[in-house]
Amino acid sequence: MFQLIPINIWMATRSLARNRLRTFLTMLGIIIGVSAVLTMVALGTGARGSVEGDVRSAGTNLVYVRAGNYTRGGASVGVASGLGAATTLTDADARAIADEIDGITAVSPGLSMRTTVTSGASRSFAQVQGVGPDFADANMWDIDPGRMLADAGNEAVIGRALADDLFGKGFDPTGKNVRVRDADYTIVGVTDDGTEDHDEKLFVPWRAMQSSQNIRHLDFIVIAAEEAGQASRISDEVKALLRQRHGIGAASSSQGYLGAQGSGAGGVDDFTVETQAAKALTKGLYTPAAAFALANLPKLDEVTTAEMADTLDRASDTMTILLASIAGVSLIVGGIGIMNIMLVSVTERTREIGLRVATGARSADIALQFLIESVTLSLVGGLIGLVLGLVTSRIIGWSLEWPVSVPIPAMALALGIAALVGLIFGIYPARRASLLDPIDALRSE
Amino acid sequence: MPVISLKDIKKIYTLGDNEVHALRGISLDIEAGEFVSIVGPSGSGKSTMMHILGCLDRPTSGQYCLDDKDVSSLSGDELADIRNKRIGFVFQGFNLLPRTTAAENVEIPLLYSRPVMGATERHERAMKALEVVGLGDRAEHGSNQLSGGQQQRVAIARALVNTPSLILADEPTGNLDTKTSIDVMHVLQDLRERLGITIVLITHEPEIAAYGTRIITVRDGAILSDEANVPHEGLAEPVAAQMLG
Repeated sequence: MFQLIPINIWMATRSLARNRLRTFLTMLGIIIGVSAVLTMVALGTGARGSVEGDVRSAGTNLVYVRAGNYTRGGASVGVASGLGAATTLTDADARAIADEIDGITAVSPGLSMRTTVTSGASRSFAQVQGVGPDFADANMWDIDPGRMLADAGNEAVIGRALADDLFGKGFDPTGKNVRVRDADYTIVGVTDDGTEDHDEKLFVPWRAMQSSQNIRHLDFIVIAAEEAGQASRISDEVKALLRQRHGIGAASSSQGYLGAQGSGAGGVDDFTVETQAAKALTKGLYTPAAAFALANLPKLDEVTTAEMADTLDRASDTMTILLASIAGVSLIVGGIGIMNIMLVSVTERTREIGLRVATGARSADIALQFLIESVTLSLVGGLIGLVLGLVTSRIIGWSLEWPVSVPIPAMALALGIAALVGLIFGIYPARRASLLDPIDALRSE
Repeated sequence: MPVISLKDIKKIYTLGDNEVHALRGISLDIEAGEFVSIVGPSGSGKSTMMHILGCLDRPTSGQYCLDDKDVSSLSGDELADIRNKRIGFVFQGFNLLPRTTAAENVEIPLLYSRPVMGATERHERAMKALEVVGLGDRAEHGSNQLSGGQQQRVAIARALVNTPSLILADEPTGNLDTKTSIDVMHVLQDLRERLGITIVLITHEPEIAAYGTRIITVRDGAILSDEANVPHEGLAEPVAAQMLG
């Protein structure tokens, strides 16, 4: 019987090709089911990967202090204290944090600007950050080739992508000079850290940046907590310390962005403290409105990355169940469509069945023929759905700048399930066909 | 040794409380190379006879030997193999598959041959069978592009592609005009004369039955007469006059 499978596949394709429109309409259920599920899996997996990447990235449990404050709708906010505009955050603050707060492994002052980086004839518009040597430890950088820059001097560490852009792909730029706003830096190392966008940046010593720009303040301070779960305590202590140092009254209400600062009697904070967990959640994946809502959840800054990963796992479990239900429903509907059309086909082709039986087909041959036809129908539908799903998810991913990825097992599973649907819903029509009495079948008009 | 040997074949259908005796004890031998016409009005039992002869149905009682093999008690799959190898069917309605070429139609019995036959051999044998019926040049034509007579000849090619011992033709001219009917009958006569294939023809038209070498008349499930016949060679005057009205 199995020797007849290739012949039957050929016969099935012939017979399905004879009724193209009907075949296509029958497949539509499976096509839509498979492609919808695949698109959602692609977007879901991609988004999950991106968020997890952020949450689990090297240097978890970071606390960021940024100069300025961003208060949505706060009446008392002065323009000068807008995020990044304040000039009150200083190196002394960074040192005080390192000295007075326990459980900190690394503190790096930071400055940031967007400008043109040139090397010889090639130039690139990039973000240049002034950082301290601790910045590498805080982010768990793996510098290869080269080493981390020193506290001062004219050394620079370059992101891999920026190095590729300036010097050509894969080129080892250590020892080369780059020029940033009339200051020359010698590259001492390359960092390849895709998760934190460090890839496209140039890092120079913060002191060098301060002096080249003739400024005395910092844009941010990065603090690395010693262990998971310490980030929220540290951020609280940092807030208290900075308020004290900047002469700001005790926090009385929390009206601010990212739930990390309050406005006191002496005015609003001129800094923003945010934990990495909050930063990861508010980045990219969600709309600004959702980000705002999420970031303002009370106690978000107390969430550890471990808890965050847990929550994500649970969320993606929920998503998986949701996807599976949608897939299940659409495939059942598709399967019923296939069964329906196969039953119609059996009735229409009664004479053909009679003829085949008269010329020597056994009832198993007839059953096999119709079974293979329904499996072919669903499998081809599954394949079309697969391609459509991949294309759709690419288009959505591209237009929304959303990371997309489809695991190979998911594709195989989609096809396997499509074939299974054809098999299950094909059994009854195939059995009907094989049980037809050839005498009645030959007589039918 | 007869190709077909029927001994007291009875077929009883039960319709509710009624028993319908379709065949009331038919005994009959058909030798190899005979062209037997079975005639009878509708309801005479000739269709039932043809189904039993074609191994599409089993008799209620009696013994049917085909090529000396008792087929009255074989299983469904065994009967399928007998139909595949020993019997070729020609039907009134041609029963060609739509949107399929002549050659593909002729290949159908070969699809169910055991052991499985390769595509090349299937095609070669189909071509040979089409040449026998004079349609070698129409092999790739779609079945709907052929005339009625050509379609029936494709059906005859399909019946003989597996070199059966017996061709069963059930009202093969029922859907054809007089001229093509004669044409088709000549093809059947030709098969008997050239290839020695035994032919059993079932018809209700005496003029068509006259192409056989032996005419068996059936009525009410029993044989009424069984006579040798000098077959028509062509369009004999009285027959033609009768047929053309």
